[in-house]
Amino acid sequence: MKVFRSHILVCGGTGCRASGSQNVKKALLAELINRNLSEEIKVVETGCNGFCAMGPIMVVYPDGVIYMLVQPEDIPELVEEHLVKGRILERLLYREPTTEAVIPTMQEIPFFALQELRVLRNRGLIDPEKIEEYIARDGYAGMAKALTEMTPEDIVKEMLASGLRGRGGAGFPTGLKWQFAAQSQGDTKYVLCNADEGDPGAFMDRSVLEADPHAVLEGMVIAARAIGSHQGYIYCRAEYPLAIQRLNIAIDQAREMGLLGTDILGTGFDFNLEIYQGAGAFVCGEETALMTSIEGKRGMPRPRPPFPAVAGLWQKPSILNNVETFANVGQIIFRGAQWFASVGTEKSKGTKVFALTGDVNNVGLVEVPMGTTLGTIVYDIGGGIPKGKKFKAAQLGGPSGGMIPVQHLNAPVDYEKVTELGAIMGSGGMIVMNEDSCAVDMARFFMDFCQDESCGKCTPCREGTKRMLEILNNITTGKSKEGDIELLEEMAAIIKDSALCGLGQTAPNPVLSTIRYFRQEYEDHILRHHCSAAVCSALFKSPCQHTCPIEMDIPSYIALIRAERFEDAYRILLRTNPFPSVCGRVCDHKCQSKCRRGKLDEPIAIKFLKRFITDNASRPKIEAVPVTRKEKIAVIGAGPAGLTAARDLAQRGYKVTVFEELSEPGGMLRWAIPSYRLPRDILAREIEDVRTLGVEICCNTRIGRDLSWEQVDTDYDYVYLAPGAHKSQKMDIPGEDLKGVYGGVEFLRDFNANEEDWLAGKKTLGSRVAVIGGGNSAIDAARVAARLGADVLILYRRERKDMPAAEEEIEAAEHEGIQIEYLVAPVKITEINGAVTGITCQRMKLGEFDRSGRKRPDPIAGSEYTVSVDSVIAAIGQIPDMTFVPGDSGVAVNRWSCFDLAGGSQSQTMNPKFFAGGDAVTGPDTVIGAIAAGHQAAKDIDAAIRAKNGEQPYEAPPEEKIDIPLIIDEETQEAPQTKMPEMAAAARRRSFAEVELGFTREEAIGEAIRCLRCDAEI
Amino acid sequence: MSGIKLTINGLEVEAQPGQTVLEVARDNHIYIPTLCQYPGTTNVGACRVCLVEVENARTLVASCCMPVTSGMVVRTNTERVRKAQRLIVELLWSSGDHNCLTCERNGNCELQDLVYWLKIDKPRFNIDPPGYEIEATNTMIQRDLNKCILCGRCVRACNEIQINEVLDFTMRGSEAKVGPAFDLDYIQSECVFCGECVNVCPTGALTFKQARFAGRPWEMKKVRTTCTYCGVGCQMDLNVHEGKIVSVTGNREYGTPNTGSLCVKGRFGVDFVHHQDRLKKPLLRRQKGGELTEASWDEAIDFVAERLSALKKEYGSDSIAGLSSARCTNEENYLFQKFMRAVIGSRHVDHCARL
Repeated sequence: MKVFRSHILVCGGTGCRASGSQNVKKALLAELINRNLSEEIKVVETGCNGFCAMGPIMVVYPDGVIYMLVQPEDIPELVEEHLVKGRILERLLYREPTTEAVIPTMQEIPFFALQELRVLRNRGLIDPEKIEEYIARDGYAGMAKALTEMTPEDIVKEMLASGLRGRGGAGFPTGLKWQFAAQSQGDTKYVLCNADEGDPGAFMDRSVLEADPHAVLEGMVIAARAIGSHQGYIYCRAEYPLAIQRLNIAIDQAREMGLLGTDILGTGFDFNLEIYQGAGAFVCGEETALMTSIEGKRGMPRPRPPFPAVAGLWQKPSILNNVETFANVGQIIFRGAQWFASVGTEKSKGTKVFALTGDVNNVGLVEVPMGTTLGTIVYDIGGGIPKGKKFKAAQLGGPSGGMIPVQHLNAPVDYEKVTELGAIMGSGGMIVMNEDSCAVDMARFFMDFCQDESCGKCTPCREGTKRMLEILNNITTGKSKEGDIELLEEMAAIIKDSALCGLGQTAPNPVLSTIRYFRQEYEDHILRHHCSAAVCSALFKSPCQHTCPIEMDIPSYIALIRAERFEDAYRILLRTNPFPSVCGRVCDHKCQSKCRRGKLDEPIAIKFLKRFITDNASRPKIEAVPVTRKEKIAVIGAGPAGLTAARDLAQRGYKVTVFEELSEPGGMLRWAIPSYRLPRDILAREIEDVRTLGVEICCNTRIGRDLSWEQVDTDYDYVYLAPGAHKSQKMDIPGEDLKGVYGGVEFLRDFNANEEDWLAGKKTLGSRVAVIGGGNSAIDAARVAARLGADVLILYRRERKDMPAAEEEIEAAEHEGIQIEYLVAPVKITEINGAVTGITCQRMKLGEFDRSGRKRPDPIAGSEYTVSVDSVIAAIGQIPDMTFVPGDSGVAVNRWSCFDLAGGSQSQTMNPKFFAGGDAVTGPDTVIGAIAAGHQAAKDIDAAIRAKNGEQPYEAPPEEKIDIPLIIDEETQEAPQTKMPEMAAAARRRSFAEVELGFTREEAIGEAIRCLRCDAEI
Repeated sequence: MSGIKLTINGLEVEAQPGQTVLEVARDNHIYIPTLCQYPGTTNVGACRVCLVEVENARTLVASCCMPVTSGMVVRTNTERVRKAQRLIVELLWSSGDHNCLTCERNGNCELQDLVYWLKIDKPRFNIDPPGYEIEATNTMIQRDLNKCILCGRCVRACNEIQINEVLDFTMRGSEAKVGPAFDLDYIQSECVFCGECVNVCPTGALTFKQARFAGRPWEMKKVRTTCTYCGVGCQMDLNVHEGKIVSVTGNREYGTPNTGSLCVKGRFGVDFVHHQDRLKKPLLRRQKGGELTEASWDEAIDFVAERLSALKKEYGSDSIAGLSSARCTNEENYLFQKFMRAVIGSRHVDHCARL
């Protein structure tokens, strides 16, 4: 045999071929001839390597270096570097998506390292078109053993002992199936292989057939021997030309070598094999339909019994197994049932191949032991979700399966558990979905598939799937009605119970599973015409507007920026938002997360554009609104929720008085968010507008201290409670009550109230400060502490990607020299004489996934260490201070110290005179959330008053017409989001000047041009 | 062979191996509704209205295809069964143009009966007929696929009873429909218009064109008769309204020779009955060149006997030849040849089927 100094394995699976591996191979062969290396280096085209997302893939042996996304242009350099000079070409290596680490060899890449290759043991290693290479890897050894050393009963016994269950999805024990067929009388029996893989997103069987076709043939011969069959068929869909081509080559080679056909291995056993090409009907994957199709008839299922083991193909005893099942058989016989059953769970033995697709970094083919957790597959092997999005659910079992949502990431994937969770194992399609997937739309998609693929024979499937689809279409387009969920559930249950074959019986599964886990989404679609993933486009004008809690008309103001009509843009902002210049600075901009442009490159900088308008347009003049209504309304708390409600009510003609405990209005905007993020004058300007409307704001008035609850109750007709959440949560560790220990919001409030004292050094944190927490308050506190001259260390118990704070805030903190330590939690605060000396921490390691889909930090015993600090700021969360609410007020406060709302209302408390909103209802939330709550409360209070008076509901005065220009570019060039100009990090130390400088006119217009105008109706 | 014991609705019953649950239920007068099931054809389990509960079965099972087993516990009347049947019938109803007002099958429609029996007020779904054009290209069979519930009885009747192999399903899912190959009309296809498909159709999808607006099912008087076209002796029912034959239907219960099936002539060739030119009495031409005039049977037979005897005497037996009809029975043809050979003494006897 000829010896080569190096083998280069080029992946020739369908995925890599589609991305150009044939051309890469051609270029490689040419380059090797050019450089006279053909005699030294051998190029092998293998079957699917599995890491399809990174194709074309090339592995260089003996080093085992794997190159990805290789293009023909890369070949000269690759040959020069790796094969001539012996240097690894780094730019074509794998990069870990989160850490960016470069990994040269296959075994070290988590995608490969965590897999257990049994069915796929030859993938990417052998040339599937050379039987010798299969034989060299113990190929046909199992068959030889079965034919020469075992009786048919022995084979069946071994299969039973292995515990192998059907990999097509239903999980019926393979040995049992064979036993039934073996016991059936008759000279003519058939062994059938189901290679009609048709689930959307599934490509396991195709890859096995392309990478290792002999493994399937070997399994079929063994099965034939076990049941006494001499003829087999592989039913393979015609859409798999490469698989069919390689199968044909494999069959010819095996026949030539006496491994198939008559007198196999001289044992006298005959088994012939033919390929039957399916014409593409999904239902032909159902066993009886498949047999009907081979018989030359219309591929429709027939009732069972009789079962195929008794009367299958042409009414003769038959067995039908899936590709992956057969691919397991040779190994089971060769290595024994014990070996096979050594991995897996109690009832699900061996490994399972999954086609991992969807919103996951490492799209490809993976094989793992049964019982591997979903989280391991998605995160450790799959590399997590691209673009830092959140995992929502994984669809298992394709259109017959269901979704497994985030709270079950720890679930071991085996037949039992998956079924218990409402999905099915299926053939192995695993479609990962992120937060931008709509559960209802997914259910609609799969139902559309099923009703398309229904053969039309039985009524429940033919008509039932059509009607279920109709209802789902109605829900996703806003035409549904109450009761539709219940009707879907009723239909689903009956169709499952009454359809003729597996297709119909499982078709309702995606609907049932999405209702089970995402019922709220269904209700949102039906009752509020709201799609939280911003997918169902018939329900909205644009995803950004739909996602904004107050539905700001984003496309319009962006269009007006492009048209340089900034004043008009400002008027659009004020229609929905009383605090646009605040939101232009500190909004968490959920809108941007759903921006369609983000799917192309990066989302539009909606927040920055909003700020640009308020910075550059002249402010529309606010006129006082005369009081026309007799009812008087009190608002408790002058934060964004309270002021928004006050403004809306004043606009409707009510007399509103706002009571604020602190010396100035603004709530968290004034007292927690530091001025380098939100300058005081900017905030004051917008609060002044609320006053101008006629709202009276009484500061320094705490209810229960300066004014009694009863007085408010007596003097006002309605009260809106919006006190916010201004109390830090306790850490519950020793030393927490020491003088140098602050709560996050308490520290910020103190600083903002006594800024001069702090800056003058009359108040101090000392030189070293530890901040506990990973939210925006923690970052705010840390950045303020840094500006006071302290060395700041943030301690966070999870990883950076899990921090709830805005990414840009974390980055800014890092630029400002703040250190962040991850995976640590405080244990106690040390002291000398009542003064803080340090903080003792414990290191954490990540354990199982919690309900939010993040890995839970678990303490590492004995890992404690102490950092010396002068003060500690604990910013791990806030709760409302409810001490001002009398117990007999009738206003209920729950165990999270939040107001309970009356059932069905979005703002009314248990006492119908009192309404509530903002952080005091939801717990700490965003500014925009508070503004939305304020709008809601004003609407509800006004509606309650009018209902009581027997008046018509409020009708808003007609809006002034602003013409929105529509310019749509023919072509869109990829371009990242425009960066916000910032003050240099060095200049920021000790300065409370605004860090972000705002877009220039050119930058703003340039950014506005990036908008794709999803709102356009063309 | 000893019987199999099983329980249906708490009643212990006995069955023969190979019987289906449906057959056993019917033997014991337990009603299970059916639509796609049709005697003499394969049980396909397509319509799913014959669902029953079988203890330990994962799902409901179609009783028409389920062989009985010993100790089986079957329930045909539970809420689970009824709910499924109701939804299925509701789905069928809303899937087509089931407008009973003008339907020929009103009062004789299995879907209508089932809707009523299941007490369905109206379907919860929009009534959504597929909008097929009614086939009007032949004079015998009206095909309105908007009323088709895809039970497949016509397909099996065509392929398994008549073995004409003209009909099958085309398209799939909710677009599935029944028809000849290449979407041809009946008249363009290989269809021989035996009308078996019309006879087995449970709804108004396939109806007799001649019977359109000629009388409601309950106004019909059924008259059993033997087909006059040939010697087979097919049994059939004439549907008579106001003294006129409106249509001809087969009836399986009449058994041999045709078990309800008919050919195009027996099925559709009835217009001669009321035709003005139809000969109802013997005619005699009493003299050469004279007109044919009515005669009594006695007179006519005497006339024939007399003339045949005279001819034989004068010219010999070989001067007389006899020609018989395919519309006569075998017995009649036997008698006729016997008459020619033994009475007339001629071997010149033949039959129209040879022509």
